[in-house]
This record gives sequence, structure tokens and C-alpha cells, in this order.
Amino acid sequence: MIELKNVTKTVRSGIEDLTILDDVSIAIPDGQFVAVTGASGSGKSTLLGLIAGLDEPSSGTIYVDGDEITNQKEDKLAQIRSEKIGFVFQSFHLIPSLTAYENILIPMEILGLRDARERATKLLDDVDLTNRGHHYPPELSGGEQQRVAIARAFANSPKFLLADEPTGNLDSKNGEHIFELMTELHRQNNVTLVLVTHDHALASKAQRQIVLRDGSVLSDSVHRDEAE
Amino acid sequence: MKFIFNLTRREIRSSWRRLLFFFLCIALGVGSVVALRSLIQNLTKAVGTDARALMTADIDINSTNDFTPVEIQKIEEVVGRSNIVEARNETITTAQMVRPSDPRNDSVKFVELKGIEPPFPLVGTFTLSDGQPFDFSLLKDNGAVIAEFLLEELKVKIGDKLKVGDGEFTIRGTFDEEPGGTSGFRLGGRIFLEKKAFDSAGITSKTGRIRRRILYRTSDNPTELVQQLREALKGTIVVVNSYREQQENMGEQFTRTENYLSLTGLLILVLGGVGVWNVARAFVEQKRKTVAVLKCLGAGGTRIISVYLLQILTLGLIGSLFGVLLAQLTMWFVKWRFVEAMPAKMTYGVGASTGGQGLLLGVLISLLFSALPLLQIRNIKPKLLLRDENNVNISRLDWTKWLFGVASLAGLLGLAVWQAGSVKVGVFFLVGLGVTSLILYLAATLLTWLLRRIKRFSSFSIRQAVNSLYRPGNQTRIILLAVGLGAFVVLAVQSLQSNLVREFDFTRNQKLPSLFFIDIQKSQIDELRRMINSRIGEEAEAIPTVRARIAYVNGSPFDFEQREVRQQQGIIGREFAVTYRPNLDENEKVKSGSWWVGDATDTPEVSVEEDIAERLKVSPGDSITFDISGRKITARVANIRELDIRNTRTAFVFVFRPGTLEKAPHSYAATVLKHVGATERLRLQRDIIEKFPNVQIFDVADILATVQRLIANFVLAISFVGSFVMLSGVLILIGSIALTKSQRVYENAILKTLGANRRVLATILFAEYGLLGMLAGLIGSGFAVALSFAVSRYVLNIKWEFDPLTAVLGVAVTALVVMFVGVAASFDVLFRKPLGTLRSQ
Repeated sequence: MIELKNVTKTVRSGIEDLTILDDVSIAIPDGQFVAVTGASGSGKSTLLGLIAGLDEPSSGTIYVDGDEITNQKEDKLAQIRSEKIGFVFQSFHLIPSLTAYENILIPMEILGLRDARERATKLLDDVDLTNRGHHYPPELSGGEQQRVAIARAFANSPKFLLADEPTGNLDSKNGEHIFELMTELHRQNNVTLVLVTHDHALASKAQRQIVLRDGSVLSDSVHRDEAE
Repeated sequence: MKFIFNLTRREIRSSWRRLLFFFLCIALGVGSVVALRSLIQNLTKAVGTDARALMTADIDINSTNDFTPVEIQKIEEVVGRSNIVEARNETITTAQMVRPSDPRNDSVKFVELKGIEPPFPLVGTFTLSDGQPFDFSLLKDNGAVIAEFLLEELKVKIGDKLKVGDGEFTIRGTFDEEPGGTSGFRLGGRIFLEKKAFDSAGITSKTGRIRRRILYRTSDNPTELVQQLREALKGTIVVVNSYREQQENMGEQFTRTENYLSLTGLLILVLGGVGVWNVARAFVEQKRKTVAVLKCLGAGGTRIISVYLLQILTLGLIGSLFGVLLAQLTMWFVKWRFVEAMPAKMTYGVGASTGGQGLLLGVLISLLFSALPLLQIRNIKPKLLLRDENNVNISRLDWTKWLFGVASLAGLLGLAVWQAGSVKVGVFFLVGLGVTSLILYLAATLLTWLLRRIKRFSSFSIRQAVNSLYRPGNQTRIILLAVGLGAFVVLAVQSLQSNLVREFDFTRNQKLPSLFFIDIQKSQIDELRRMINSRIGEEAEAIPTVRARIAYVNGSPFDFEQREVRQQQGIIGREFAVTYRPNLDENEKVKSGSWWVGDATDTPEVSVEEDIAERLKVSPGDSITFDISGRKITARVANIRELDIRNTRTAFVFVFRPGTLEKAPHSYAATVLKHVGATERLRLQRDIIEKFPNVQIFDVADILATVQRLIANFVLAISFVGSFVMLSGVLILIGSIALTKSQRVYENAILKTLGANRRVLATILFAEYGLLGMLAGLIGSGFAVALSFAVSRYVLNIKWEFDPLTAVLGVAVTALVVMFVGVAASFDVLFRKPLGTLRSQ
């Protein structure tokens, strides 16, 4: 379960403070697929970053799988991410100096998994990139890069998959493919999926949709199928 | 751990090209240290620190007078009591003019004669040019064995005869290297004769400068025996040496030279370190996103730093290995270029321990200079993947950073102390480097500030170029510092050279004599002056000279048991040629005390040259007792005299007041001031030697040519080192360009979007680096002029002249080098498509 209690995030912009998230409280049960939507600057990406421990809230507390991640040391957060969280970015953020295969290998090597190589090969298969493993990121198309990023996010079998506009940099066909891949992996592995997106069509396919506006939760609705 | 090794391997695979400059900086620095150290070590080996072999004995007792029966008795008494003496021989040496007997051969040469008796040598071996061992029978019945190169100089061959003094000697063999090798400055080639031939050829009776030696070989440590001999011979002018003390002195000198040279190497390595620092900063900057991704994937800061540290260490090690290779190449270059100036036994390999030391230095410097930039990795937050912002908290005092900074500085100090072999010199080096850098940095700041004040450039490109120098995160001052320092070293050496060479330019120093005659007997002086007058038309001045040694200073003899005194033995214990005259020469000045008027009545008085006065620690009123042909004369120091050695016909360290030395055994010196051609000089020398074989003649032009050659080699060597400094400056420049490249790419993309064409952008590029180079050149040139002035004036005591050509050329060349390098390293920026760049930002 992911739980945010009265989370506020302010940053300094020039000479004044800017509130990005304002007293947000959300609880996401395990296995749920949540879409977070909202206009640019509404605080979606910040919310996702806070859940992943990539940043600290100005006030409030966040629990991930029962652990409080606020006020934790950098290395402890890294460990939590390594074990429990997969992250997919809009601009992929693959390491350019490593091949596709090695990019997938990295999280498992960080965790020290023994069967890392076999798993990396399987993950490449899962995202249909069996023959592209030796290519470097700049040699791959946007869709291919995002598939590598998804394989990487699933490498350590995380409990939580956080995706920040994963289809934002892709054409509609590739975007659709990526979305299907993620939801498929979500279903197969019973992973909690938090998807930040602009795309209402995609958001509507989620079990729950949270809409943010100016840093606050405007609406939090559970899909009818799910409610039933 | 596996993660660290795997990632390091993969990262090196992809970033080695970007880190090439890092690699080069280290290679260049390590190369300099190793090359310089190897050079001096091999030189030491070649010249031979084997003092025992040089001395050809274990104990050397020598005197410039005939040993008196009392002295010989004392020596034999002491030696007789000892049971470690194995063998004994005597030698006699002097310098003489020799000429071939063949009247058609007009060569004449100044040589060093050595009369020996068997067994010779007591220690070491003596092999002739043909590979045969030296056999004493070669010298019997007026035989001579001469240095191989003298055959050519004298235009003779084995079997020919040479005239030495009144005798005639047949050349029976030649040698390339005499026992103990050759070291130091020697005026002429060596000729071996039988010792007793010195008497039969009249050499001993007519020449003043003769040194007699009694040599012993011992079966054990001779130190105690030497002490006993010294004790027994106290108060005489006899000098006793043991090979152990000689060895100690020579070893010390070589070690000191080696350590100083290594510091020069370390300077280049430190500059390389600055390059490393820049590259590491650029590298961390480029790796920000990768680091953020790794952190996002769960890798801790320490592990990531370990990856990059390991990477730096690996590259540092490979760079150092390359540096050792570079050192070896340099040694081969030295062999190719300077082989004639090097001793015959010189080797040109890099030793294992020197190489190993270089590797260690390289790795440590890589570590010290990349630690701080790598520490920045800690501050890279994974959230920059979501929102890139400057996430470095500046206001907070970063203790770790300070701690590492101080540790790096301490490490650097440790390296300097290690390389200098002395804490004092190490600290001095680092402080000196710091102060020099600070001054150059301040000059750079001042110049850039001034440039910024002149804003009204009409050309857009120039205005933009000036602005580029102030780009945020600009490296302008660092580049000015590094390149300026390189230019400074090279130009200072060049400027000093031109002043030095001018100083030794025979044609400009009209007051220097062209020929210098010594050891002229009283009966010969009038005839000799007549000869000079009839041939050259100059009335040569005859200067009376008396040979003297210092016996006591203020009543006490030198205590050669004292290390400090022993080290000066060659200077204060030698035989001096002294003169007397009523007046000061025009090149002399009284520093303290007063010059005399009229002849001395009761107490003899002497004027002492300031350098030797300082060594003897005497001032006016003190007394010095001289031994003149066995007679002791105590003179009061009347004054201390400064001597301008460059414009001098003669340079006497001791000048007596007339009235004391007139009755002592005299010889004369004479000078020819008129500058005449080489052929004429040679003919005059030949004729004088024919008539007066004992007279020694110095051809000043020849000596000055040798000195000039030495200076030229010396300058070439320093310029070579200086160009390495310059090269490290250029590497720093390249590193800095890499550091700010992404900004330049972005700027150019914007300028292109706004309508700037490639020509405009290229002009900006050329103008920016041209300006930068010009400023660096100005700094280097300005400080070089200042340094050459200070060194000429206060260290070398020579006249200084501003050399505008070197200064202007220096600025121009530096500007061109920087412009070329800068443009070449950034040229690809002009061809980038703007859209891709703008999108990726």
C-alpha cells in the first residue's frame, strides 16, 4: 500500500515560495492501477517523485509498503527503490553508455541478483526486443527505448510501478503498445501501477483516476467495474 | 562489488574517448617526472659516483708542492702503523701545451699531463682503445699514451712524436676512457707519461701548477687512517682525502640535482592534475543524468562514486603507463639529439623503480585531483530526472568537501616532500607554486576585468567573443593561469638565454682578452712581450704572479674533518695565483675596508675578493697566512673587493699590497687584448710554445665557445622541460573547452536560430581563443621579462637588456597556439543542427 498523509511540497522560485502540492492525502491499495491526471504544473510528476523517494515533501508523511520514506537517508531510499519500486519516465532515461541488455541488467546487479543475466534475457523477450539487446539507446527508436525502460522497471519484480507520462514522447501506435505492455505486466505480476498521464483515454482504462489541480486533489474516482 | 566492477568496465568502454585528455594530462606529467629522474640517474651512473674508481685509490694525499722530507716522514710513520695498506703509488699532474714534433704539423694543444708509476691504477682497470689492458712498458723510454680524440686534434697517429716541455715522446697507445672515467669540466685531453719523465723533460722545473699525489689502496675502511694522516699533517698544505668522503659528497650532489629536477617534473604533473580536475568536473557534469538514473534504480551514492573512482584510477594507471613509455621515448630523443654532449657510458633506459614511482605518482595525482569533482556526485539528486534544477545547496557549509580539499592538499604536500626528498623544499615548492599561481591568477583577473571595461567593440563577433570569456562557469582564468604559466617558463628561459649569450659574446666584450699566457718565467717575459708586439702590435702587460695556498685563517688551519669545510676544499684549499699592485683595476670596487696608498712597510696587506672572503669568513682586520713555496707569510686583510668578472683581463682573488711579494719566486702572466683571427692566434701560440715550452696559453675565444655551447645545451634542456609545461597548459585548455562545450553548443544553436551564419560563429570562435591566447601570452611574456630581469640582475649579476622580439613573438605564438587548439577542439560545434540541440535541452 502507498499512503500519503497531508503531503505538501513547496519550492523556491525566484524570491517567492511556490506550492506544488498542497495538503494531499491519498491511499493506494496493493495491486491497484491508478491514473493521475491534471493540467501541466498541477503537481502530477512531483507526486510520483515523492512516492518514489526521489524528492522529499516539505511536510506530511509518505508510507510505501508500510515503511515511512520521509526523512530517510539517501542510501536507504535507494535501497527501497531497488527492492520495491520500478520507475518509467517520459523521456526514458536510459544510460546512454550501456546497451539495451545492460540497461536492464543494472537494477539486478545493484541488488546483487544471481540470475540477473537470464532474467535480463527473458525481460528482453517479454518486451519483444530479443534481437536488439546489443544496441545502445541512441540506436533504438523511441518506442524501443521505452520498452527497454519498462523491462528495466520490472527487472527486480517491484511491488510498485510508477510511470511518468510513459507514452508522452511516443506516437499513438507506439504509445498504445507501451500502455498495453504495462497493463499486461501489471495484471500478470499483480503490481500496483501509478500512471501519470495527460491522455484521458488511457486514464479511463485505469481502475481509479485521481485528478489534480493546482497541487490539490480535485477528484478521486474509482472506475465503475472496480467499484462493483 | 560485482556491480561496481561491471559498471566500471562498461563505463570505460564508452567514455574513454571523452577521458582521453585526462589520460594525456597524467601521461605527460608522469612522463616528465620519470624522464627527468631517469636522465639524471643514468647520468649519475655514467659519470660514475664510484669515487673509489675515480680516485683510483682508497686514500689520496696530495699537494701542489713537492712533499717535504718531514711530510713524507710523517705520512710513512702513520701508514707504517696501519695494517690495512695494501699498495702505494705516486702520480703527478699538470696542464701543459703540447705540439707534434713534425715541423710541418702546426697544431698546438693544451693538454692535461699525468705522470704515473707502477702499479697503476691501484683501483679499477685501464683498458686501451684496442681493447688491450694498459701495460706500463708502453710509457718506458719516453712513451706516451694519449686520449683517442687527441689524435685528431693534434693531427697525429700512433708512432708519431709529441713535444712536451723539453722532451720528445712517442705515442704508443690511445684510450677512450681513463681509469675512473672523466667527469666535470676539463680544459684538455689527458696524456699519460712516466712519472720520472716529468723531471727529465723539465716539466717540473718550469711549470708552476703541479699536483703531486701519494695514493694508497687499503684492505679495509680507510676513515680512521685518513683522520690520523690529517692530524699528522695539520698545518701543512697537504690535503688528505678518502674515497668514502668523496663518494658521500658526490652522491649528495647528484641526489639533490635529481630531487630538484623531479620537482620540475612534479610541477608538470601538478599542472596535469589541474587538467585532471577540469576533465573530472566536465565528466561529472556530463554524467549527471546517468548518476540520477542509477540513484533512481537504487544504487547508493558511495557505490556510484566507487564506480567513477575506479574508472579514474584505471585510466590514471593506464595514463601513467603511457607516461612511462613517453619517458622512454624522451630518453631516446635525448640520445638522438644530445648523444655528443653526454658521457660515453650513458645509458638511455628507464629504470624499474623510477617507472614504478612514476606509476604511483600518476595514480595518486589522478586520485587527489579528481576526488573533489567526484564528490559532487553525492549532490546529484535523482529528482533531476523529473525536474532539472540547480539542486546544489550552496549556503550550507559542506564539511566533507572541505575535508577532502584539505586532505588533497596534504596529499599533494606529501608528494612534493617525497619527490623533493626534503620537507623544507617540498613545502617551499608547494607554497612557491601557490604564490606564483596566485600572482598569475590575479594578473589574469585584472586583464579580463580590463577587457570587460572596453566594451565598445564595433564588431558583433568580437563583442560576442568577449562575452564568451565571461560565460557562466567560464574557465578563462584557469586557462590564462595554466597557459600563461607555460608561456612564462618558456619565455623566461629564452629571455635569459639571450642575455647570457650576449654576455659571453666575444665580439661584444671588448675588454676580454683574446689570449691569456701564464707560467712565464722572469727570463722569458721580455722576449715574449717583444714577440707579441712584433706579431700583433700590442704592448702586452706583464702581471707578476706568485703561487700561494692558504695555511691559516686568523691563526687556525682548515679543519677538514668538518664536513662543511671539507665540502669547500676544492675552493679554499687550492693553490691561488696571487699578484700585487698599487692600484685597483677598473673592473674592481672596494666593498669594505680601504685600498692602500704606497708600499707596505711592516705588516703585509692583502685585498680579498668578496666571494672567497665570505667562504673564509674574513673581514678587514682579520689575518690570512699564506704558504708561498714553503714560506709562511701572514697578511692583514686590508679590504674586501668586488670583481666584475666579465670585463676583466685577469681575475685575482688575492691582491697584495706592493712591498711583500717582490722577492718571492715569481712567474708572469700576460694578456693579449686585441681580437685577432683564429689562424693568427694559432700561429702565435705555436711559435711561443716552440720557444717557451713551459708557457701555458688559454685561447679565450675557444673557452667562450665551449661555454656558449654549454649554455645552448642547458637552455635547450630547460626549454624542452618548459615546452612540457606549455603542453600541459594546452591540455588544460582542451579540458576546459570540454567542460563548457555543452553551453557553447546551446549558445550556438540559439544564435543560429536567431540567424547567425557559420561565418559569424566561426569568427566568434577565432576571436574568443585568439583573445584568450593573447591574454595568456601577455601574462607569460610580462612575467618572463620580470623574471629574466631579476635573475640577470640579482642572481647571475649580468647586464640585462629587454628583448622585444622574444616578448612580442612570445605573445603572438601563444595566441596562435591557443587559437589553433581552441578552434580545433570546438570546430564541430559549428556544424551541429540547432533543432536537435534545442530539443535536448
